[in-house]
Amino acid sequence: MLRLSVPAYVALLGGFLACAAAAGGGLVNEEVKRTVDLTTHLAKITAEILLANEGDAAAHSFTVGLEAELAPHLAYIGAAPFPTHITQAERQLVVFQGNHYLYSPYLTRIQSSRVRLASKNVETYTKLGNPSKNDEMIEYGPFRDVAPFTQDVMKIHYENNTPFLTISSITRTIEVSHWGNIAVEETIDLRHTGADLKGPFSRYDYQRQSDSGISSIKSFKTILPASAQDVYYRDEIGNISTSHLQVLEDSVEVEVRPRFPLFGGWKTHYLIGYNLPSYEYLYALGDQYALKMRLLDHVYDDQVIDLLTVKIVLPEGTFTWTRLIVATKRNLVEQHIQDMVVHYTFNKILMLQEPLLVVGAFYILFFTVIIYDPAAEVRMKVASITEQVLTLVNKRLGLYRHMDEVVNRYKQSRDSGALNSGRKALETSHRALTNDINSLQVRLKAEGSDLAEKVAELQKLDGQVKDLACRSCQEAERLVVGKVKKEAYIENEKGLTGRRLELVSRIDGLLDAL
Amino acid sequence: MAEHHTAPDYKHKASSNAAGALSGNGRAGSSGGSGGLSGGLTQPAGWQSLLSFTILFLAWLAGFSSRLFAVIRFESIIHEFDPWFNYRSTHHLTTNGFYEFLNWFDERAWYPLGRIVGGTVYPGLMLTAGLIHYVLNLLNVTVHIRDVCVFLAPVFSGLTSISTFLLTRELWNQGAGLLAACFIAIVPGYISRSVAGSFDNEGIAIFALQFTYYLWVKSVKTGSVFWAIACCLSYFYMVSAWGGYVFIINLIPLHVFVLLLMQRFSRRLYIAYSTFYIVGLVLSMQIPFVGFQPIRTSEHMAAAGVFALLQAYAFLQYLKDRLTRQEFQTLFFLGVSLAAGVVFFTVIYLTYTGEPYHHLYAKIHIPIIASVSEHQPTTWVSFFFDLHILVCTFPAGLWFCIKNINDERVFVALYAISAVYFAGVMVRLMLTLTPVVCMLSAIAFSNVFEHYLGDDMKREKPPAEDSSDEDDKRNSGNLYDKAGKVRKHVSDIVTMLMLMLLMMFAVHCTWVTSNAYSSPSVVLASYNHDGSRNILDDFREAYYWLRQNTDEHARVMSWWDYGYQIAGMANRTTLVDNNTWNNSHIALVGKAMSSNESAAYEIMKSLDVDYVLIIFGGVIGYSGDDINKFLWMVRIAEGEHPKDIRESDYFTPQGEFRVDKAGSPTLLNCLMYKMSYYRFGEMQLDFRTPPGFDRTRNAEIGNKDIRLKHLEEAFTSEHWLVRIYRVKKEDNRQGLDHKPRNLSQKQKYISKKLMGGKCAPRGAWLAWRRGAL
Repeated sequence: MLRLSVPAYVALLGGFLACAAAAGGGLVNEEVKRTVDLTTHLAKITAEILLANEGDAAAHSFTVGLEAELAPHLAYIGAAPFPTHITQAERQLVVFQGNHYLYSPYLTRIQSSRVRLASKNVETYTKLGNPSKNDEMIEYGPFRDVAPFTQDVMKIHYENNTPFLTISSITRTIEVSHWGNIAVEETIDLRHTGADLKGPFSRYDYQRQSDSGISSIKSFKTILPASAQDVYYRDEIGNISTSHLQVLEDSVEVEVRPRFPLFGGWKTHYLIGYNLPSYEYLYALGDQYALKMRLLDHVYDDQVIDLLTVKIVLPEGTFTWTRLIVATKRNLVEQHIQDMVVHYTFNKILMLQEPLLVVGAFYILFFTVIIYDPAAEVRMKVASITEQVLTLVNKRLGLYRHMDEVVNRYKQSRDSGALNSGRKALETSHRALTNDINSLQVRLKAEGSDLAEKVAELQKLDGQVKDLACRSCQEAERLVVGKVKKEAYIENEKGLTGRRLELVSRIDGLLDAL
Repeated sequence: MAEHHTAPDYKHKASSNAAGALSGNGRAGSSGGSGGLSGGLTQPAGWQSLLSFTILFLAWLAGFSSRLFAVIRFESIIHEFDPWFNYRSTHHLTTNGFYEFLNWFDERAWYPLGRIVGGTVYPGLMLTAGLIHYVLNLLNVTVHIRDVCVFLAPVFSGLTSISTFLLTRELWNQGAGLLAACFIAIVPGYISRSVAGSFDNEGIAIFALQFTYYLWVKSVKTGSVFWAIACCLSYFYMVSAWGGYVFIINLIPLHVFVLLLMQRFSRRLYIAYSTFYIVGLVLSMQIPFVGFQPIRTSEHMAAAGVFALLQAYAFLQYLKDRLTRQEFQTLFFLGVSLAAGVVFFTVIYLTYTGEPYHHLYAKIHIPIIASVSEHQPTTWVSFFFDLHILVCTFPAGLWFCIKNINDERVFVALYAISAVYFAGVMVRLMLTLTPVVCMLSAIAFSNVFEHYLGDDMKREKPPAEDSSDEDDKRNSGNLYDKAGKVRKHVSDIVTMLMLMLLMMFAVHCTWVTSNAYSSPSVVLASYNHDGSRNILDDFREAYYWLRQNTDEHARVMSWWDYGYQIAGMANRTTLVDNNTWNNSHIALVGKAMSSNESAAYEIMKSLDVDYVLIIFGGVIGYSGDDINKFLWMVRIAEGEHPKDIRESDYFTPQGEFRVDKAGSPTLLNCLMYKMSYYRFGEMQLDFRTPPGFDRTRNAEIGNKDIRLKHLEEAFTSEHWLVRIYRVKKEDNRQGLDHKPRNLSQKQKYISKKLMGGKCAPRGAWLAWRRGAL
């Protein structure tokens, strides 16, 4: 009944200030105006107290009384459903039990209470001092000269279809990364603590009749910080597709719709998570860090939480007794949404730890690949040498063709000077190529490849080709000079070409095998 | 793809060019084309490996990405039915450890029998996912096991392409290998089983299959014990992953047998097969689910027979060197005719009776098998749908292989022929056909490209040569101009056509993947006129309701299709599930669904049923609902309880299955009908149709005034897709007088197998069904 959190406290304080002139030990409640707000499942009681000091000494403090039976529910007390089980078609009735008077250690001169209800329908209510009732309001009092610690049971049985939603447990995990992100994840167990659903649930009625299952909960709104990104809303079996996200100027609003409507006694479980930029919440001075965040955030309006667990995961390398800070608290309401601060020390150098680890791992991987598998290395080398041999041999074969051209040109122009110079040039490049191939052959041998022998054979064949080419060149010279007849030359040349062809095809065969 | 494949033949081309040169007219090596580049890339070997690496990497990437449609459209979620069981087992493995998993007795399935999960699954999939999850967590990469499971199949598709590449390279050449890798990465026949979220045995088994075959071919080629042992290990992985391992253990012996028949016996073959058979046999028996099957059951006997035959053959070869011709001939005729006769007939006998897929023909009439859609024979349409152009080109590849036959090509030919046969038997085995089709088509394409593009290169190359060759080039250009032009045009056209075919193939693959194989089937989507999407999440809505708002030990009765999903998503005890090992239990559930309410109540009481879950698509027009499956339930129930359930009762006198007024009264009053249409008669979906109009069957229901006596509606999802009924407890009875009474034994409805005490978890005829293949 008594919500002794911020608003109630503020009201008390205001009353105190109003009579600041009062002094002395004999405090008296001059006038008390109580408001009992029963419109939701959360009873909010505020009391506006005009306090008077009728004693002589100055009073520096005063005591707020609280009924002994309320102590375990310090944060909140709700109305209890009665009857405890209703069918889908029925409306939810609840009973509120409280005190007609302000529970105070002081005498109260004059007191009045105003009870606000959720609907007009009231089954019964206690009739102390003939209260007046109009619409959704019951007014008690005024009562005069109420003795200290007076209790008188106020009982109101009325209709209340507002969602009786209770978070039976919430685990809020805050994971801080120094790379600029704070990940927040809330695991929530929700329960409809109103009157339990009795008998069947009919989807037909629920869809076709607007007042069917009026006390059930379809959806509610969760307000997240304005900078929240990558919001997800899911449970053990995946994303809950029935949610909507709205980004407003000063907040992000998630319309959380459980997979199924929550009827009395039904429960559900889900996760909601999002990322926040760390610059809004993380403060640093050198190696000293301070994380300032809400201990608890909004889940739904007038939230009631049975058990809160907050887990804060600090980055690796933090100097504390532990990286994981866990805090738990029971009985919380909306007014507990307050900031907390966590101080810790973190060496900035350690931020490089993770990237360096990755770099190191890849380095080792590549390095091993490079070092390892020597066979592949040899294979590659041999392959590359073979390629070079192939190129060179082909080039060398090309030289003979040039030679032929030179000879043909010589046959037309009869310019022996051109022939000699051409022959010389070709021979030089031929020698160079042959030497290159020889050196490659040596390298092949060094690698232990049996291809070296093939290259040797190649060289031998090439020598023969070269001889033939030289001979046809000489024959041409002889023809030009006139030492041989044209017919003989042609026949001779034919033979030479045939042998060359044969040799070249053998070379090609060898090249193929390379 | 097409351009790439020519690169590996670079070296080959270079040398063939040289060979084509006449009388010193040889061109400078065509490798001159790359002469301008420096470093390792001047060598074609370097280019070749870089290209191969890049192509394989891209194939992996393409294969991975094209499997992500469902994740992008919906979310990272486990699909369909069997994957939910696999996911649940993997979850159990990661939370409780390996030994707990092996000893896992799942009391939440097959109530009241339970299931020995550790001994009745192929654990390869779960172990693979669990291992990856473990390693990632060890590296501080915190991934949820669900995400590992969802992305496992797409990742393994990359490994499949690599092993296909390796295998095809062994069979043909590197170019064909790369083409095959690209084909298998995107071919719908394989994607159908390996999209993200389809966490099923097949996802990893195709990789294991291809890799085992690669290692087998390798070991036959080299005759090395190393490769044979590697092959055994891969086979072991395959056995641990999928019941389809029997395909390997029959195909490899068949290969050996055919090689023997073709007089291709060699020492290499002997070493490879002897090692493979012995080590593979021992390894395969280490899987608890397989156990002693390899030495007991008929489907493994062909391997044993071929092993014996091979030994005998080798022994004869040995004798041949040591006996005189005369002695040997006598011995040969005696021995061979005896041994060959015995072995041959055993093999023949076993091939015809023992082939696992022949069970199918024998058992096709059994309703529970016939009721599974993927066990239907394959239509021609689905061949084209799943393989597109490949189905036309792969015979060409097969022809190329047979034309240039060698040991390993015999293998691929046998692989192709047997896979085609099995794929024709049932749709599901399209999966084993797909890899071989990809390989053979790749060979066909590669050959065509080699022929036409290769020619092309020969002509196009000269301009890249040294300037010293310019004159010559002009000459030869002039010389060959006329003939060359015609050929050039032909080859251009052929190349273009081939490229177009490949392009169309790629388009088709993407389209099929996107439209046919990327639905999680747990979440449905409908589209509005403006293209916006509605998600129908009814399944999860109902399952999650069960999970949150029923007693932890509540027993849920549903048709077996939903067993795994209920266990996985609702975490509640089920009576029957997709394991389908106990037909009589399923028949009992079928009987409950097809009886009237009070008879069903008796069955449900005897089975301790708390909730009954059904799928009803009448509101949104979902065709896969329980009423459409209902006849199968009736048939299966009739199989076990022919006296109580008769299929004919559920038809109209005209032999129609109707849910409207004309439907048979038995149907209109059976439990399934009542549960499906409870209060549906009041519901008017739109103004054009009367109340109680079933959109799936397009009929106004015949029984609108349904009252339930023993059941009450516990939950119905938003679009009525899932309806859950609570079985009411019996009312308190009148007080009894205190006279002693004689209690008579009440007839219990328990399965026959139980009563006979012959409850065999790996029971005979259904063993293969349990996700076996």
